[in-house]
Amino acid sequence: MTVLVLTSPQDVTADLVVAELHERGVPLVRLDPADLPGGADLSAEYVHGDFHCYLSARGRMVGSRALRSVWVRRPGEPAAHAPGTSAWLGAETAQALYGMLYSTTARWMNHPRQAAQARYKPWQLRVAHLSGFAVPPTLITTFPGVAAEFAARYGRVVVKSLSGPPRTDPPVALPTTLVEPGTDFAGVAAGPTLLQQYVAKRADIRLTCVGGRLFAARKASAEGQVDGRYGDTGHAWEPAGVPDRIARPVREFMDLAGLAYAAFDFAEDAEGLWWFLECNQGGQFGFVELETGQPIAGAVAAWLGAPPPARP
Amino acid sequence: MQPFACSYARPQKASEDVTASYVYDPALQLNVLSDGRPAISDRALMLAAGTTTSTAGSQTHFDD
Repeated sequence: MTVLVLTSPQDVTADLVVAELHERGVPLVRLDPADLPGGADLSAEYVHGDFHCYLSARGRMVGSRALRSVWVRRPGEPAAHAPGTSAWLGAETAQALYGMLYSTTARWMNHPRQAAQARYKPWQLRVAHLSGFAVPPTLITTFPGVAAEFAARYGRVVVKSLSGPPRTDPPVALPTTLVEPGTDFAGVAAGPTLLQQYVAKRADIRLTCVGGRLFAARKASAEGQVDGRYGDTGHAWEPAGVPDRIARPVREFMDLAGLAYAAFDFAEDAEGLWWFLECNQGGQFGFVELETGQPIAGAVAAWLGAPPPARP
Repeated sequence: MQPFACSYARPQKASEDVTASYVYDPALQLNVLSDGRPAISDRALMLAAGTTTSTAGSQTHFDD
Protein backbone atom coordinates (compact mmCIF):
# COMPACT_ATOMS: atom_id res chain seq x y z
CA MET A 1 0.00 0.00 0.00
CA THR A 2 1.41 3.32 -1.13
CA VAL A 3 1.39 6.86 0.25
CA LEU A 4 0.85 9.69 -2.25
CA VAL A 5 2.66 12.92 -1.35
CA LEU A 6 1.37 15.95 -3.23
CA THR A 7 4.00 18.66 -3.00
CA SER A 8 6.63 20.59 -4.93
CA PRO A 9 10.09 19.07 -5.45
CA GLN A 10 11.77 21.92 -3.50
CA ASP A 11 9.71 21.29 -0.34
CA VAL A 12 12.38 20.15 2.12
CA THR A 13 9.88 19.98 4.97
CA ALA A 14 8.23 17.15 3.03
CA ASP A 15 11.66 15.53 2.87
CA LEU A 16 11.54 15.06 6.66
CA VAL A 17 8.45 12.89 6.26
CA VAL A 18 9.63 11.13 3.09
CA ALA A 19 12.80 10.07 4.93
CA GLU A 20 10.67 8.72 7.79
CA LEU A 21 8.52 6.76 5.34
CA HIS A 22 11.66 5.32 3.72
CA GLU A 23 12.89 4.24 7.16
CA ARG A 24 9.60 2.49 7.82
CA GLY A 25 9.70 0.78 4.43
CA VAL A 26 6.45 2.42 3.33
CA PRO A 27 6.21 2.82 -0.47
CA LEU A 28 5.44 6.33 -1.65
CA VAL A 29 4.94 8.37 -4.78
CA ARG A 30 5.83 12.05 -4.60
CA LEU A 31 4.03 14.09 -7.22
CA ASP A 32 3.59 17.78 -7.94
CA PRO A 33 0.24 18.45 -9.66
CA ALA A 34 2.04 21.28 -11.46
CA ASP A 35 3.91 18.60 -13.45
CA LEU A 36 0.69 17.15 -14.87
CA PRO A 37 0.59 16.50 -17.79
CA GLY A 38 4.07 16.00 -19.22
CA GLY A 39 6.18 15.49 -16.11
CA ALA A 40 3.55 13.20 -14.59
CA ASP A 41 0.59 11.26 -15.95
CA LEU A 42 -2.79 9.95 -14.88
CA SER A 43 -5.46 7.58 -16.09
CA ALA A 44 -8.86 6.63 -14.66
CA GLU A 45 -11.51 4.22 -15.93
CA TYR A 46 -15.13 4.08 -14.85
CA VAL A 47 -16.45 0.96 -16.58
CA HIS A 48 -19.35 -1.35 -15.68
CA GLY A 49 -19.69 0.21 -12.25
CA ASP A 50 -16.06 -0.38 -11.44
CA PHE A 51 -13.35 2.22 -11.02
CA HIS A 52 -9.59 2.11 -11.39
CA CYS A 53 -7.15 4.94 -11.57
CA TYR A 54 -3.39 5.27 -11.90
CA LEU A 55 -0.93 8.04 -11.31
CA SER A 56 2.69 8.02 -12.40
CA ALA A 57 5.53 10.40 -11.73
CA ARG A 58 9.17 10.04 -12.70
CA GLY A 59 9.08 6.29 -13.17
CA ARG A 60 6.83 5.44 -10.22
CA MET A 61 3.20 4.42 -10.42
CA VAL A 62 0.38 3.97 -7.95
CA GLY A 63 -3.08 2.56 -8.60
CA SER A 64 -6.24 3.34 -6.66
CA ARG A 65 -6.39 -0.15 -5.13
CA ALA A 66 -2.89 0.26 -3.68
CA LEU A 67 -3.39 3.82 -2.46
CA ARG A 68 -3.16 3.97 1.33
CA SER A 69 -3.22 7.72 2.02
CA VAL A 70 -2.76 11.12 0.43
CA TRP A 71 -0.72 13.91 2.05
CA VAL A 72 -1.53 17.34 0.66
CA ARG A 73 1.58 19.33 1.61
CA ARG A 74 2.57 22.15 -0.77
CA PRO A 75 1.19 21.07 -4.17
CA GLY A 76 1.63 23.36 -7.14
CA GLU A 77 -1.34 24.46 -9.22
CA PRO A 78 -2.35 21.64 -11.57
CA ALA A 79 -0.68 21.90 -14.99
CA ALA A 80 1.34 24.98 -13.97
CA HIS A 81 4.50 23.50 -15.50
CA ALA A 82 2.81 21.88 -18.51
CA PRO A 83 3.90 23.07 -21.94
CA GLY A 84 1.45 25.65 -23.28
CA THR A 85 -0.45 25.75 -20.02
CA SER A 86 -3.58 27.84 -19.62
CA ALA A 87 -6.30 28.48 -17.07
CA TRP A 88 -8.46 25.99 -18.94
CA LEU A 89 -5.76 23.29 -18.87
CA GLY A 90 -5.29 23.91 -15.15
CA ALA A 91 -9.01 23.50 -14.52
CA GLU A 92 -9.19 20.35 -16.64
CA THR A 93 -6.21 18.84 -14.86
CA ALA A 94 -7.54 19.73 -11.41
CA GLN A 95 -10.86 18.09 -12.31
CA ALA A 96 -9.14 14.93 -13.49
CA LEU A 97 -6.62 14.62 -10.64
CA TYR A 98 -8.67 15.57 -7.62
CA GLY A 99 -11.86 14.06 -9.02
CA MET A 100 -10.24 10.65 -9.33
CA LEU A 101 -8.48 10.89 -5.98
CA TYR A 102 -11.78 11.82 -4.31
CA SER A 103 -13.17 8.58 -5.77
CA THR A 104 -10.68 6.39 -3.90
CA THR A 105 -10.95 5.14 -0.33
CA ALA A 106 -7.57 6.61 0.67
CA ARG A 107 -7.22 8.54 3.93
CA TRP A 108 -6.42 12.24 3.51
CA MET A 109 -4.19 14.60 5.42
CA ASN A 110 -6.07 16.86 4.87
CA HIS A 111 -8.95 16.35 2.47
CA PRO A 112 -9.11 19.44 0.22
CA ARG A 113 -12.79 19.94 1.02
CA GLN A 114 -12.10 20.17 4.77
CA ALA A 115 -8.93 22.17 4.12
CA ALA A 116 -10.81 24.77 2.09
CA GLN A 117 -13.41 25.18 4.82
CA ALA A 118 -10.79 25.39 7.57
CA ARG A 119 -9.02 28.27 5.80
CA TYR A 120 -11.96 30.59 6.48
CA LYS A 121 -11.04 32.55 9.60
CA PRO A 122 -14.58 33.55 10.54
CA TRP A 123 -15.58 29.86 10.42
CA GLN A 124 -12.51 28.93 12.48
CA LEU A 125 -13.49 31.39 15.18
CA ARG A 126 -16.99 29.94 15.40
CA VAL A 127 -15.68 26.37 15.62
CA ALA A 128 -13.09 27.48 18.19
CA HIS A 129 -15.91 28.89 20.34
CA LEU A 130 -17.93 25.68 19.96
CA SER A 131 -14.88 23.59 20.84
CA GLY A 132 -14.38 25.38 24.13
CA PHE A 133 -11.33 27.58 23.47
CA ALA A 134 -10.93 31.07 24.92
CA VAL A 135 -11.22 33.32 21.85
CA PRO A 136 -10.50 37.07 21.95
CA PRO A 137 -13.47 39.28 20.93
CA THR A 138 -13.22 39.68 17.15
CA LEU A 139 -14.92 41.85 14.54
CA ILE A 140 -15.01 41.49 10.75
CA THR A 141 -16.68 44.44 9.08
CA THR A 142 -16.83 46.87 6.19
CA PHE A 143 -18.50 49.55 8.36
CA PRO A 144 -15.94 52.16 9.54
CA GLY A 145 -18.24 53.26 12.35
CA VAL A 146 -18.61 49.73 13.68
CA ALA A 147 -14.82 49.30 13.59
CA ALA A 148 -14.29 52.57 15.48
CA GLU A 149 -16.88 51.57 18.09
CA PHE A 150 -15.24 48.12 18.53
CA ALA A 151 -11.81 49.70 18.99
CA ALA A 152 -13.20 52.17 21.53
CA ARG A 153 -14.96 49.38 23.45
CA TYR A 154 -11.90 47.12 23.76
CA GLY A 155 -9.21 49.78 24.02
CA ARG A 156 -6.34 47.97 22.39
CA VAL A 157 -7.09 46.05 19.21
CA VAL A 158 -5.00 44.44 16.51
CA VAL A 159 -5.65 44.23 12.79
CA LYS A 160 -4.86 41.10 10.84
CA SER A 161 -5.62 39.89 7.34
CA LEU A 162 -8.23 37.27 6.56
CA SER A 163 -6.34 35.62 3.70
CA GLY A 164 -2.67 36.56 4.10
CA PRO A 165 -0.76 39.39 2.46
CA PRO A 166 -1.66 40.73 -0.99
CA ARG A 167 0.21 38.96 -3.80
CA THR A 168 2.44 41.78 -5.00
CA ASP A 169 5.80 42.21 -6.66
CA PRO A 170 7.91 43.00 -4.71
CA PRO A 171 6.25 40.90 -1.98
CA VAL A 172 4.89 42.49 1.17
CA ALA A 173 4.21 41.13 4.64
CA LEU A 174 1.09 41.84 6.64
CA PRO A 175 1.91 41.08 10.27
CA THR A 176 -0.69 41.31 13.00
CA THR A 177 -0.37 44.93 14.13
CA LEU A 178 -1.61 47.00 17.05
CA VAL A 179 -3.99 49.79 15.97
CA GLU A 180 -2.93 53.13 17.45
CA PRO A 181 -5.46 55.26 19.34
CA GLY A 182 -7.07 57.92 17.12
CA THR A 183 -6.68 55.81 13.97
CA ASP A 184 -8.93 56.74 11.04
CA PHE A 185 -11.04 53.69 10.12
CA ALA A 186 -12.29 55.08 6.77
CA GLY A 187 -10.32 52.40 4.88
CA VAL A 188 -12.52 49.71 6.46
CA ALA A 189 -15.12 50.57 3.80
CA ALA A 190 -12.64 49.53 1.09
CA GLY A 191 -12.26 45.94 2.28
CA PRO A 192 -13.50 43.53 4.97
CA THR A 193 -11.34 44.20 8.03
CA LEU A 194 -10.60 41.84 10.92
CA LEU A 195 -10.04 43.51 14.29
CA GLN A 196 -9.37 41.56 17.46
CA GLN A 197 -8.90 42.50 21.08
CA TYR A 198 -5.19 42.61 21.84
CA VAL A 199 -3.99 39.86 24.17
CA ALA A 200 -1.01 40.99 26.25
CA LYS A 201 1.00 37.82 26.02
CA ARG A 202 4.04 36.43 27.74
CA ALA A 203 4.55 33.66 25.17
CA ASP A 204 3.48 32.31 21.80
CA ILE A 205 2.29 28.72 21.67
CA ARG A 206 2.38 26.59 18.55
CA LEU A 207 0.48 23.35 18.97
CA THR A 208 0.73 20.81 16.16
CA CYS A 209 -1.91 18.10 16.05
CA VAL A 210 -1.19 14.97 13.98
CA GLY A 211 -4.06 12.52 14.13
CA GLY A 212 -4.60 12.33 17.87
CA ARG A 213 -1.03 13.27 18.84
CA LEU A 214 -0.34 16.75 20.20
CA PHE A 215 3.00 18.59 20.12
CA ALA A 216 3.10 21.96 21.85
CA ALA A 217 5.98 24.39 21.63
CA ARG A 218 6.37 27.65 23.55
CA LYS A 219 8.41 30.74 22.78
CA ALA A 220 8.66 33.55 25.32
CA SER A 221 7.61 36.92 23.88
CA ALA A 222 9.60 40.10 23.91
CA GLU A 223 8.08 43.00 25.84
CA GLY A 224 5.17 44.43 23.84
CA GLN A 225 5.64 42.04 20.92
CA VAL A 226 2.46 41.59 18.89
CA ASP A 227 3.21 39.14 16.06
CA GLY A 228 5.51 36.34 17.19
CA ARG A 229 6.46 35.49 13.63
CA TYR A 230 8.34 38.75 13.16
CA GLY A 231 11.36 40.09 14.94
CA ASP A 232 14.06 38.23 16.80
CA THR A 233 13.08 38.00 20.46
CA GLY A 234 16.24 36.22 21.55
CA HIS A 235 14.06 33.32 22.70
CA ALA A 236 13.81 29.89 21.14
CA TRP A 237 10.93 27.45 20.74
CA GLU A 238 10.87 24.93 23.58
CA PRO A 239 8.70 21.87 24.13
CA ALA A 240 5.66 22.54 26.32
CA GLY A 241 3.10 20.36 28.03
CA VAL A 242 -0.49 20.41 26.83
CA PRO A 243 -2.99 21.12 29.62
CA ASP A 244 -6.11 18.97 29.53
CA ARG A 245 -8.23 22.13 29.23
CA ILE A 246 -6.51 22.68 25.85
CA ALA A 247 -6.21 19.06 24.67
CA ARG A 248 -9.98 18.52 24.83
CA PRO A 249 -10.94 21.54 22.68
CA VAL A 250 -8.16 20.74 20.20
CA ARG A 251 -9.61 17.27 19.64
CA GLU A 252 -13.12 18.70 19.47
CA PHE A 253 -11.97 21.26 16.87
CA MET A 254 -10.25 18.57 14.79
CA ASP A 255 -13.41 16.44 14.84
CA LEU A 256 -15.72 19.31 13.95
CA ALA A 257 -13.39 20.46 11.17
CA GLY A 258 -12.73 16.94 9.87
CA LEU A 259 -8.96 17.54 9.90
CA ALA A 260 -6.17 15.00 10.37
CA TYR A 261 -3.47 17.66 10.73
CA ALA A 262 -3.43 21.25 11.98
CA ALA A 263 -1.11 23.74 13.63
CA PHE A 264 -2.79 25.96 16.23
CA ASP A 265 -1.49 29.36 17.33
CA PHE A 266 -2.22 30.58 20.86
CA ALA A 267 -1.20 33.60 22.92
CA GLU A 268 -0.36 32.79 26.55
CA ASP A 269 -1.37 35.62 28.85
CA ALA A 270 0.05 36.59 32.25
CA GLU A 271 -2.27 34.14 34.02
CA GLY A 272 -1.13 31.28 31.81
CA LEU A 273 -4.38 31.13 29.79
CA TRP A 274 -3.96 30.09 26.16
CA TRP A 275 -6.05 32.31 23.84
CA PHE A 276 -6.96 30.79 20.47
CA LEU A 277 -5.61 32.93 17.63
CA GLU A 278 -5.89 30.70 14.62
CA CYS A 279 -5.71 27.21 13.21
CA ASN A 280 -3.47 26.59 10.19
CA GLN A 281 -4.66 23.41 8.51
CA GLY A 282 -1.45 23.22 6.47
CA GLY A 283 0.78 24.90 9.03
CA GLN A 284 4.54 24.49 8.92
CA PHE A 285 6.14 22.17 11.42
CA GLY A 286 9.76 22.02 10.27
CA PHE A 287 10.90 24.97 12.39
CA VAL A 288 9.28 23.48 15.52
CA GLU A 289 10.82 20.06 14.97
CA LEU A 290 14.27 21.50 14.29
CA GLU A 291 14.24 23.71 17.39
CA THR A 292 12.50 21.41 19.88
CA GLY A 293 13.39 17.97 18.61
CA GLN A 294 9.73 16.95 18.77
CA PRO A 295 9.15 14.03 16.37
CA ILE A 296 6.40 15.64 14.29
CA ALA A 297 7.60 14.30 10.92
CA GLY A 298 7.65 10.83 12.43
CA ALA A 299 4.07 11.26 13.63
CA VAL A 300 2.97 12.39 10.15
CA ALA A 301 4.73 9.40 8.59
CA ALA A 302 3.16 7.03 11.11
CA TRP A 303 -0.32 8.38 10.35
CA LEU A 304 0.19 8.23 6.58
CA GLY A 305 1.69 4.75 6.74
CA ALA A 306 -0.85 3.22 9.10
CA PRO A 307 -2.70 0.19 7.71
CA PRO A 308 -6.12 0.99 6.30
CA PRO A 309 -9.02 0.30 8.67
CA ALA A 310 -10.55 -3.14 8.26
CA ARG A 311 -13.69 -3.10 6.11
CA PRO A 312 -16.83 -4.62 7.57
CA MET B 1 -8.92 54.36 -0.96
CA GLN B 2 -6.89 51.30 0.00
CA PRO B 3 -8.32 48.60 2.31
CA PHE B 4 -7.63 49.35 5.98
CA ALA B 5 -5.41 46.29 6.52
CA CYS B 6 -3.18 47.21 3.58
CA SER B 7 -2.04 50.37 5.35
CA TYR B 8 -0.13 48.00 7.68
CA ALA B 9 1.71 46.17 4.88
CA ARG B 10 5.48 46.36 4.97
CA PRO B 11 8.15 45.20 2.55
CA GLN B 12 8.88 41.52 2.90
CA LYS B 13 12.44 41.05 4.09
CA ALA B 14 14.32 39.17 1.39
CA SER B 15 15.20 35.77 2.76
CA GLU B 16 18.32 33.98 1.74
CA ASP B 17 17.58 31.72 -1.23
CA VAL B 18 18.97 28.37 -0.17
CA THR B 19 17.10 26.30 -2.74
CA ALA B 20 20.11 26.55 -5.08
CA SER B 21 22.21 24.57 -2.62
CA TYR B 22 20.17 21.39 -3.05
CA VAL B 23 18.57 19.55 -5.91
CA TYR B 24 15.66 17.12 -6.12
CA ASP B 25 16.67 13.51 -6.66
CA PRO B 26 13.76 11.64 -8.28
CA ALA B 27 15.25 8.25 -7.37
CA LEU B 28 15.30 9.04 -3.65
CA GLN B 29 12.28 11.39 -3.87
CA LEU B 30 14.36 13.67 -1.61
CA ASN B 31 16.48 16.78 -2.06
CA VAL B 32 20.22 16.22 -1.90
CA LEU B 33 23.26 18.44 -1.40
CA SER B 34 26.08 18.65 -3.95
CA ASP B 35 28.00 15.98 -1.99
CA GLY B 36 25.05 13.59 -2.22
CA ARG B 37 23.88 13.88 1.40
CA PRO B 38 20.17 14.45 1.98
CA ALA B 39 19.40 18.18 2.38
CA ILE B 40 17.63 17.43 5.67
CA SER B 41 20.97 16.42 7.17
CA ASP B 42 22.07 20.08 7.02
CA ARG B 43 20.31 21.71 9.98
CA ALA B 44 21.49 25.24 9.16
CA LEU B 45 20.17 24.94 5.63
CA MET B 46 16.86 23.61 6.88
CA LEU B 47 16.44 26.52 9.28
CA ALA B 48 17.29 28.97 6.50
CA ALA B 49 14.88 27.36 4.04
CA GLY B 50 11.68 29.35 3.86
CA THR B 51 9.72 26.15 3.49
CA THR B 52 10.36 25.15 7.09
CA THR B 53 9.34 28.38 8.78
CA SER B 54 6.06 30.09 9.48
CA THR B 55 5.99 33.38 7.61
CA ALA B 56 2.50 34.72 8.24
CA GLY B 57 1.28 33.79 4.83
CA SER B 58 3.78 32.90 2.17
CA GLN B 59 3.19 34.03 -1.37
CA THR B 60 2.00 30.57 -2.34
CA HIS B 61 0.26 29.24 0.76
CA PHE B 62 -1.36 31.54 3.27
CA ASP B 63 -2.11 29.03 5.98
CA ASP B 64 1.37 28.63 7.38
